[in-house]
Amino acid sequence: MLATPAIIFVAIGLLAPLALMLRNSLNHYDPTELMISAVTAENYLKFFSDSFYQGVLWRTVWISGLSTAICLAAGVPVAYFLARHVGDLAKRMLMIVILVPLLIGNAVRTSAWMLILNDKGVLAAFLGLFGHKGPLGLMYSSAGVVIGLISVLLPFMIITLNSVFESIDRNLEDAGESLGASHLTIMRRIVLPLALPGILSGSVLCFILSMNAYATPVLIGGPTFHMMAPTVYQQIAKVMNWPFGAALAFILMAVTLILTVGVSVLVQRRYRKWSE
Amino acid sequence: MSNRAKSVRLAYTATSILVIGFIVLPLVFIVWMSFFSNKILSFPPEGYTLDWYRRAWEISDFRNGFFLSLRTSLIATCVALGLGLPASFALVRGRFKGRETINTILMSPMIVPGIVGGSALFVFFLEVEFLTGWRIAGSSIGLIIAHSLIALPWMIRLVTTSLISVPPSVEEAARSLGAGPLTVFFRVTLPVIRSGVIAGSLFAFVNSFIDLEKSIFLVGPDSTTLQIALINYLEWNFDSTIGAVATVQIGLITLLLLITDRYAKLSRAF
Repeated sequence: MLATPAIIFVAIGLLAPLALMLRNSLNHYDPTELMISAVTAENYLKFFSDSFYQGVLWRTVWISGLSTAICLAAGVPVAYFLARHVGDLAKRMLMIVILVPLLIGNAVRTSAWMLILNDKGVLAAFLGLFGHKGPLGLMYSSAGVVIGLISVLLPFMIITLNSVFESIDRNLEDAGESLGASHLTIMRRIVLPLALPGILSGSVLCFILSMNAYATPVLIGGPTFHMMAPTVYQQIAKVMNWPFGAALAFILMAVTLILTVGVSVLVQRRYRKWSE
Repeated sequence: MSNRAKSVRLAYTATSILVIGFIVLPLVFIVWMSFFSNKILSFPPEGYTLDWYRRAWEISDFRNGFFLSLRTSLIATCVALGLGLPASFALVRGRFKGRETINTILMSPMIVPGIVGGSALFVFFLEVEFLTGWRIAGSSIGLIIAHSLIALPWMIRLVTTSLISVPPSVEEAARSLGAGPLTVFFRVTLPVIRSGVIAGSLFAFVNSFIDLEKSIFLVGPDSTTLQIALINYLEWNFDSTIGAVATVQIGLITLLLLITDRYAKLSRAF
């Protein structure tokens, strides 16, 4: 079988390590001997009895939800503009312009945002021209983290939505217009309902990516701004508490899965009611 | 065009300029800042210099990191090519049960979050070291394994999309004329899917080059990639050397994307 070597590689490089991690999450942690083999739920219980870690999870969830909502609001007009108002060549160029920030890497993009948001940075200098004085306070704040996150997520949202808008028959919009509907009505009653599956998958993608964000919370949020992915890193690589770090990783994946599936089911049910 | 249509169009254009500007402007500023002659970073610039590029080059973590990243991503792309080409072929042409499952398994490195996959790999490597004494985490082989995992799904995704568009009848014709399976692959299939293979390799390379979340667990004396060197530096310093390194990376990635765009529709990779 031609796919066998690739499957073996993924099995050894990802599936086996994940299985081991799941097993480790049931082990006992001792500060001097590190990991002791056991079968216990104490690491999961620790998470749900410690308000600090619940706070970390809650912050991760609301930051991700907010970032996703902003991406959706900002992404729809851009994706629609690219699908309906731009010629082929211009669109190709704009796609590259949108993709470069996406594929530039988290380290470089985040450093660029640090340059903008810094108290002595670009934005402060710009606002200074209008008489603004004093620190901006955007570095090490949740607002700064959300700004950094949406700049990573927006390209994903725009690309996903754009391909959905392109697949919608233009005649439907023309028909609506010829019957006297305003543009907002056409968007609300025709385009957005038809694009709902794409809106859903774009939002799910953005939400998952921001739930797992690492570089933005670490560099823009700073050492006291805790989100889930940096906490997993801390526990596993720095504290060397593998059982608890493993439990955190699985809690993160489980919560992400439950929320995305839950919202998808809810939205699809609403959608079915609409179309009936 | 009616007045109403014009104002709708204007609203879309204005919003799009604002949003795309929001995505792109930070990169424009960091490129600009890399030429400032200010000793301590501030606005506006006092003058311009190329000195930060020399300084960035003199920081061994950046220089070595750049070459290590290049080498690692190149090897990872080759591994992904060797494993991914046959796998894509099996996924598109094979008729067997469980094809969806196999596709999901092969795409899973892209689905599992980087920090989770990275930490699992890190712990796995250390457990292997306890058992066999073979040190993988912190060595370049560990890094290559992690980066090949990143590269593989991108390769398979782009090669399979281009394979789907080739009708099997082309290969059947060659086979019926007596060509062996390897001849058919190298003389018929590969030339047709060439653009998919090139696009797949470039995407695999770029995504491996910029990886941070998996690599961060595998750093060691000979495995500090450019991205890791960057965030280590950023933790304590913020000056125009960062701008110089960022500018080089922005230039490299933009160039690779422009090349990829010649071979495949970029948005199809996502």
